[in-house]
Order: sequence, then C-alpha cells, then structure tokens
Amino acid sequence: MRIRAIAESDLDELQALARETGVGFTSLPDNREFLAEKIELAVTAFEQRTPADRRNYFFVLEDETSGELAGCCAIEGQVGREAPFYHYRLGTLAHSSVQLDLHRTIDTLFLSSDHTGDAEVASLFLRPQYRGEDRRHQRNGALLSMMRWLFIAEFRDQFPDKVLAEMRGVFDERGKSPFWECLGSHFFPLDFDEADRLTGLGQKSFIGELMPKFPIYTPFLSDEARACIGQVHRHTRPALAMLKKEGLRWEGFIDIFDGGPTVEAYIDDVRGVRKSRRCRVEVHSGSEPPAARPRWLAASTDMAAFRAAWVAGGPNEDDTITLSEQEAQRLDVVAGDSLRVLDTEETS
Amino acid sequence: MMVVRPVRPADLPALERLAGSATPSLTNLPAHRDRLEERIARSRHSFSREVDFPGDELYTFVLEDLERSEVVGTATIRAEAGAREAYYTYRQETLIHASQQLNVRREVQTLALSHEVSETTQLCALSIEPRYRGTSAESLLRRARLMFIAQYPERFAEVLAMAFPGYLDEQGESPFWNSVGRHFFVRDYHDINYLAGVRSKSFIAEVMPQFPLYLALLTPQARAAIGREHPDHETAMAEMLAEGFLRSRHVDIFDAGPVIKGERDRLASFRRAAWHPVRIRPAHVLPDAEPAMIANQRLADFRCVVARYALSPTGQLMLSTEHAELLGVEEGRAVLVAPLALAADDAELGYDEGEL
Repeated sequence: MRIRAIAESDLDELQALARETGVGFTSLPDNREFLAEKIELAVTAFEQRTPADRRNYFFVLEDETSGELAGCCAIEGQVGREAPFYHYRLGTLAHSSVQLDLHRTIDTLFLSSDHTGDAEVASLFLRPQYRGEDRRHQRNGALLSMMRWLFIAEFRDQFPDKVLAEMRGVFDERGKSPFWECLGSHFFPLDFDEADRLTGLGQKSFIGELMPKFPIYTPFLSDEARACIGQVHRHTRPALAMLKKEGLRWEGFIDIFDGGPTVEAYIDDVRGVRKSRRCRVEVHSGSEPPAARPRWLAASTDMAAFRAAWVAGGPNEDDTITLSEQEAQRLDVVAGDSLRVLDTEETS
Repeated sequence: MMVVRPVRPADLPALERLAGSATPSLTNLPAHRDRLEERIARSRHSFSREVDFPGDELYTFVLEDLERSEVVGTATIRAEAGAREAYYTYRQETLIHASQQLNVRREVQTLALSHEVSETTQLCALSIEPRYRGTSAESLLRRARLMFIAQYPERFAEVLAMAFPGYLDEQGESPFWNSVGRHFFVRDYHDINYLAGVRSKSFIAEVMPQFPLYLALLTPQARAAIGREHPDHETAMAEMLAEGFLRSRHVDIFDAGPVIKGERDRLASFRRAAWHPVRIRPAHVLPDAEPAMIANQRLADFRCVVARYALSPTGQLMLSTEHAELLGVEEGRAVLVAPLALAADDAELGYDEGEL
C-alpha cells in the first residue's frame, strides 16, 4: 500500500470512491465533472503551478498490486481564500452585577472567519474493505492521516503557521443533526444534507447571506443542540484521537451546521512535523520482511512525484535508511535519494 | 364625587395599599414604603419647582372618592422616561436575509436592546381599586394626566409613552421572562420585577444580553407574548389607542409588554380640549350634557373632575357650586375641558410614523 499524489488517470477510480463515501462526506460528491476539476487542481498544485495559498493537495492510497484506490486524503494550502470559511467560536460573556448579587457566564456562539489563511487537513476516506480486522496490521487509516505531516514538514515553506481539521458532528438515530434542527434550520431554507452538499461543492455564499450575524446565546438552544457543541460523531472518534495525539486541540471553534469541533495547532508544534526527519536511502537486495505492524513512515521529498508508505525499519545513527527493493520501488526511490521518515510510535 | 389631585404625604398608606393590590404588580409602583415615601417627596418637589424643560421630575396623582374620603387610585407622569438613567426596551426589528445563490429572501425577526424611548414622557404607575374599574373614574385617573400635560407643555416631551404590563399565563408566569431573562438572572419574574422597582430597572438592563435576540430561538409561548398586554389591561389599552396612541416597535425587557407612543398633538384629549370661563349654578338647574374632564389652571393645586359639558349660549361652562369649590374656581375663571368619550373616529387610523 502506498500514498501518491493523485493523477488524471485516477478519475474512474476516484468516482467509484466518491460513490462509497455517501452523505456527510461532502468534499467528494459523486459528480464526474467536479471530480475531474478537483484532480486537475491537485495536479497543478503538486506541480507548483498555482500559488501556495490556492493549492489543494489531493492524495490517494493505492493498492499497488491491484492498482485499486483504497482511500484518499487532502491538504488545503490555505482555507478561506476563494470562498469564505466560517465557524462559530464558542465564547463566554460574563453577566455580572454586584447590586444583584449576580455573577454568571453565558456561552455564546460568534460567527467567525478567524481561520482564514490556515492550512487544513481534510477529506480522509478509507474504503471499508481496507479497514477491517484483517487489515489492521496495514495501518491504512494512520498512513492516510499521518503522511500529511511528513508532506507539510517537507514542504514547510509552502504552508502557513496553523493547521486545522474539521470533525464531523453528532447525528441522532434518524440521521438528523440536533444542532442544525435547533439553529441552522431557522435560517436556511434547505435541509442539512443540501446545505452540506453545497458547502462541499464550495458554493458557500448562501451561508454569509443567510447566517445570523449577531452572536447566539447558547441558553436559547435546546438541551440536545447544546449537547452537540464540540462533540463528534462516534465514527469520527478514532480520527479525532489520532489528530489529538499529534497535538491538535479543540480551541472552541465549531462547525456552523452540525456543531462538530474544529481542532487546530501551530504546524511547528505538530508532533509528526517536529519529529520527522530526513535521511539517505540505501537499498538491500534481500527479501521483504514478513508483514508486521509497522511504526516507521517514509515519504519522498519530490513534491510532483510524491509517495509515502510504511517501511519495516527506521534509519540508523548516521541517518541512513536501508530499504528492501520492494519498499524502494513503492516509494519510487533509489539508493542515494533522500526520504523523510517518522517514527509514529515515538512519544513526544 | 371623584377628583384627581397631586399626591400628599398623608396618602402614603393608600399608596402602599394600591401598590400592593395592582395586578399584575407594577415595576414602577413597588409596594415598598420607603420607595413610596420618596416618590411622594419627589412628586411634591416637582409640582413646586419651576421647570422650563422636562427632566427627572415625577408627578404623582391620586384619585379620591370624596363621599368616602378615601384615596382609591393613583397614577404618575415621569417627565422624561430616562432622565436619570437610560430607559431600556426591546425594539422589534426585521432583518432581511436574502441569498442570490439560493434565490430566497427571508425575514429574520430580532429584539434589540434600545434606549430610544428614554426621551419620551412616560405615563405610568396606574393602580385603581377594583370596584372603580371600568367606571368613568378610571378614565379620569388615566387621562387627567393628559389634562395636566396640556396645561404645562414645557414640562413634558412632545411624545408620550406608556408601557403596559405584559402577558402572564394562568400560573402568573411570564413566558417571555422564562424564555429570555431567566437564563441570565436565574430569578423569578416577580422577583426581578420587584427588585427593578425598588432599585432600578436600568441597572438590570445593563446586565441583559447586549446583542439582539433572534425570535426564532425563543419558545413559541415567549414569541406569542411579545407586544401582548396583560388581559386585565386590554380595556385600558383600547382606551389609549382610541385616545390616539399607537403601538410601537418597543416592548418591555422583562415581560415583552407593549409600549405605546403618542405625539401630544395627535391625542384626542389635547385636540379637543378647550378653555371656558366658568359660570356657577346650583346643580339642579344645570342642563343635561355629555360628561367631560374639567381641570383647573393650578400647578400644585391641580384638580381634575368629571362633570357635564354644559355650555351657556355664550360659551361659558356651567358648573355646580360643589364642582366649582372642588376645582377652587370662582365665577369667570377659565377651566380646561375635554369630552370624556372618545369617538371611534378620533383615532386617526392609517397614520404611520414608521412604527408597527
């Protein structure tokens, strides 16, 4: 299994992937034209033909034996540059009066575009057949999530100070978002899925046009809606845990539709960015070691031909990493090339 | 005979009784002896002061039943609603949220904290004993204040305002307070109302949410209460609307009771009030005529009564000896007279000052 930059020839496979993602995964709609454009944009990004603040790097996880795509993920260079990027910021207002013997703090949701210009890690999807019990040793989910830190670290000067990730919020048994039902539905004349779909397509001007402009005092929301603030869907918990382990934190920003948390960090503080390092490649001719749970992640240093994969062992004290021939092939490197590696088990 | 006159120190027990019996209890008439004593002192000071423009004067009147020599009602004029501190209300606003992308236009209702009613003259703190409710004495008590203002226009603002007690449910709870204020104060409506009366309402307002509230997020019960007067005050509201007051966009910050406003020149009692010299005659020889409010021309000794609007062929108002004595007027002295009845066409319907 390996990660590589998406290519134009991936369109059919990407559309097959898009069909599987379903509702809620709005950045990958089953729309061929849209997907073709997405690939085109990603290709120009990897070739650095677009300015850094307009790049959307899109990666695929490939089963190189079958040629099938197993999943995808993305890094947006800077959010909010072309379309506005909104959040609610959960704030606190003190309501205090000595004469009334009153001191209360009221939680308030402020509409915010504070994250404009930050990088975003997004669009992580792994096909079900690649994430089952029998695939656990492959660590495909972790590969998709963590390779992005190597990419950002390697091309650090192409990214801003901060990075964020938007996590999916809470939905009830009927698939409804209590947060949306209580708040968004009053202001948007469409249902959650439609609003979410338009947002995924980048058609977001309706948000600014129809959103409440004044802060929302959370006591006016239902208990169910309040309980959604900053909470993730149960399926999203593992992904959130992985990001938190890297040092991303919830700083009170939530999605304006479902109330799900946005986690964030200064890029230079992210564990995967801090701990990854460059090393030189050597290749041995021996056979590949038997499949075991890998801990070393390796990524190439050429943006246009970017590859990332698990490798069986880490570098030695001289910062030299010895790869098997298959590993070198998978990463598209030869002896003497550079690789960026990360020990994913190393504690910070 | 019923008369409206300025309050006196001896009226304190009566005032306390009236404050206690007001339904619902009134913020600006707290059943609190010290506050009422202060109120009387301030009122007496206001009546005796020379005033060129409205300020923090407060004029409190009582309705006295002379047969029983008992004070049975009270009402107040606040020369400038927000003279000492801001007078806060919620202003109902409509924002248009339109989306070109979705081709929709939505009206979003909000309540915004406002203190623009501060500059008006406020008619407030009216309480009357239940057995006089619905009688001409109640109209007299309510509108004698207009007769007073008509005589001393420099003491008052051009626009008069009145805040009606808001809607309370069968349990006596304010649905609006329970949906709004309670979140911020964790106090019962009656509690906060009493506190506001005894201390001040504006310092409470200053702790209220400062950003506009979206109506869509309030409970349906709270929304239904906005601008709705307490059922016991519907008749009073109808009378003041007939007088020429208009419902405004403003509502009370605690219970969302309606605030009505009226420009002096547009109110029936001002427009129809006329000066007449007095001719005194024994009561039994007076001709029958429609009832009218009759006020003397004295400041601290202001009196206003209801009597017949009986005019001589030369335009003199024929008053009984008793009424003349009560008003403190002798033959030939002028009094201000306005018909008590409010013709339906007196309310200039269709007049719009940009208000609701």
